[in-house]
Order: sequence, then C-alpha cells, then structure tokens
Amino acid sequence: MRYILACFSLLVLVFVQSAAQEYAIIAHKKTPPLNLEQIRAIYLKKLSRIDNTTIVPVNLNAKDPLRQNFEKHILHMSFQRLKSYWSRQHYLGYRPPISMKSQKSVLSFVKNVAGAVAYIDASNIDDDLHVVYRWRD
Amino acid sequence: MPITTRVRRAVLLSFLACSSLYSESNYTLGEGFQVGELPLYIGGYFSMDYRNRDDEQRYRIDDIALLSYGGNNTLSYMLELEYKEFYVNTQNRSSTTVDRDTHLYVERLHLDYNINEHYRLRIGKYNSPIGFWNLMHINVLRETTSNPVASYILYPMFTSGANLTYTSFHTTSWSIDLIAQRGKAIDNGYNNYAINRHFGVGVTYENEDFTCKMSGGYFRNSERQNKRDLYYALVAAKYETDTYTIQTELGSQRSKKTTTTAYAGYVQAAYYFTERHVGVARLEGYDNRYVDESDRFVILGYTYRPLYPVALKSEYQWHTRYRENQLLFSLSVLF
Repeated sequence: MRYILACFSLLVLVFVQSAAQEYAIIAHKKTPPLNLEQIRAIYLKKLSRIDNTTIVPVNLNAKDPLRQNFEKHILHMSFQRLKSYWSRQHYLGYRPPISMKSQKSVLSFVKNVAGAVAYIDASNIDDDLHVVYRWRD
Repeated sequence: MPITTRVRRAVLLSFLACSSLYSESNYTLGEGFQVGELPLYIGGYFSMDYRNRDDEQRYRIDDIALLSYGGNNTLSYMLELEYKEFYVNTQNRSSTTVDRDTHLYVERLHLDYNINEHYRLRIGKYNSPIGFWNLMHINVLRETTSNPVASYILYPMFTSGANLTYTSFHTTSWSIDLIAQRGKAIDNGYNNYAINRHFGVGVTYENEDFTCKMSGGYFRNSERQNKRDLYYALVAAKYETDTYTIQTELGSQRSKKTTTTAYAGYVQAAYYFTERHVGVARLEGYDNRYVDESDRFVILGYTYRPLYPVALKSEYQWHTRYRENQLLFSLSVLF
C-alpha cells in the first residue's frame, strides 16, 4: 500500500510540474549575455547599454497575465509599486519600456532589433532567439 | 515685464499649444504625453495646501509647473518651468495678507550626454544629487505635505553647472556623482541658497530593495549680507518593499571657523495599507547654530491616492519648539 501511495504522489508531483506553465526571457541573437539583476535593471531603465549595445526592453500590455507574472517573479515589484516608480521616473525624464499587444509582435520585434529583450511563453521559443532565462509559475 | 519672463511665458504657451495639437489620444494621468511621434514628452504638476498653527492659517497655491523632456539614448534634455507660491493667503488674529509670485522660474534646465554605459555628463541646472528627498521633492511624489528640514538647510537644492555620473552595474549597482558649479546660477532666486560655487561628491550603493548614499561638498553663499563658504556632509539610506518604505537622512554643515548646523536629520516610515491608503510617521530633529534654533518633532500623516498621481494628504506635527505645532492638508496632481 505504501509503495502505491508513494508512486501515486510521485505521479502527481510530475504531473503538477509538467502542468506548470513555463516562461522565458528572450533576447536578440547579438545581445550580450545577461543575468537576472541586469534584466531587472534594464526593465527599470537603470541600465540602457551593455558592451556598447543599446538594450531595448519590451513589455506586453499592462493587463496581460504574462506581464503580471514577469513583474512578480522577475522584477519582484507589485503593479502599484511600479506605477509609483514610473511616476517618479516621469518627473526625472525617463519613460517606461515600450508595450506591445501580442507575443507575436514581441517575437518579431526581438528577432529584428539588435539589443531587444522581452519575455514570452516558452512554447513560442525558436532557434532565431537567444534564451536568457526560464522560469515557471 | 523683463524679457526673460516674456521668453519663459512664450515657451510655456508654445508647449501647451503643441500639446493640445499633437498629443496622443491614449494619455495616462501621471505619465505625461508624447508630442506626435517626436521624442518629446510633456507633463506637469500642481499643488495647493492649507496650514493651521495656533496663531495663523495659510492657504496656498504652491506649485504650477510644466515639464518637458526627450531625446534618445545618447542625448536628452529636461526643462521644468514653475510658478512657485503663486497665491498665498495668510491670516492671523489681527490681519490677512495676500502674496502673489507671478515670476515663472526655471527649476531645471539640463542636457544629458550618455558617454557610454558607465558615464553620463549633465550640463545645466539640475537637482543636486544629494540624499533621496532632494531628487523627489515635489508634493505629489513625497508622502507628506511638509519637507524635512534636513532637505533644505544643509546644501543647495539646485546646482547650475556640470554633473558627471559613473555607474557600475553587475549584481548590485555602485555610482559616483561629481558636482561642479563655478559662476552664476540659472535663476538663483529659485534655490534655498544663492550660490556661485558648488563642488561635491556622492557615492550610491543599490541592491534590489536597499539603497544608501553618502555625499559631501562645499559651496559659497553669494548673498551680499551673508557671504561665506560652507561645507556639508550627508548620509542617507532607504529600504523599500511593496508594503512599506523606511527612509533616513542625516547631515551636518559647517563654515571654515564654526559649526553652522550640528545636525539635521529624519527617519520616516510609510506603510501602504492598500494601494490608495498610506500611513506615514516621521521623526525629525535639527540644531541650527547659525540662527540659534533647534527642534525635535514627530509627524503623523495619512495620504489618500485615488490614483497614484493624485494625492490628498493630511499631517499633524508635534514640536518641542513653542507654537510650531501644526496641521497640514494638501492636494497635488502629476500630469
């Protein structure tokens, strides 16, 4: 009976793991290697150039669940905190990253613009992209 | 009317005209708007407040300001024009006075050149990069109607000259600021000190939620009655999360011969009950020996933000100094 329970628990665990959605931070092929702290700084516009390449962060629309997931897991900031952050940056003369409506637009932009960085569902990754980081829910 | 004032008003009107003709339709309050497809953004802010002391009441339209900025990754600019204390009505037991300052001040006017990923050169009039409060001192962006004494008695709030910033980023960020002014300031009337020299250095360390800064420098007060060289030092630290922020600044100032301000500092905690409701507590103290004035006081405040760029604030201050206790309310908006 114990073995059956253990096997069942293992199966549930594997199922939950595989069911969890996977996401990825992607970049243009020629973008220099980036770590997570750099990604955070890029999306807060504290870092705009690396190795003389201008880095262009791309967001999805504010209410897109993937953007909310990215802000929570990668930026570690709530929507309200980001709102206050960008109001302060507006006073200092800085703008938030550009936003796009769909992952399709994001993919096309990242493939064509050197230095572009974005996040997408991992299922949309293809060979023309450089994958910087992956995470799950 | 002086010609410079005419020019400033013409600039203000031109920006307003441009903004009404070419602004984009999807405007979000507090983020300014882009003029057409140009790399040019326009915004502004406004604040009014009410103060009640034992023997005096004051109603004030304090700030009416226009922001304009833009550029690209290499070169950018910032212009801020402001009416300060546009209307002030003060009432005490025996009289009522009304003051109007209709001079349009240049609060900031600078050009930024991003030399490479580490160095940025700023030329013009800018907020002196000292502490935290001085960089975010407008009403709508701070959590109390009042400003801490430490933010305006120790160092010049604005500098007209050059600012070279070096930033190193890996997993944490380090930056060094060099400040230099030698000569007449742009719109000296809009500064806490009339200065003709300012040299300073600042170091900032930042990781995800924690930032600390150390600054020190020298400036020359150029007021005819009060000419003197002054030296200052300030340390500041901030810890910020989604639900609360703790911030502190402590500094000192001296002249060549004597200590002018032994200390001025504060510790402030802001707690975000919800995204709209914020509670604030601040402890402050200073010892200004130049005018032989010292005080320690507590401030409790509450801020309601129906939207982040709109702030309705109230606060009460309990002072050790006689008749300094006061109640403050304000309304401020960022456009």
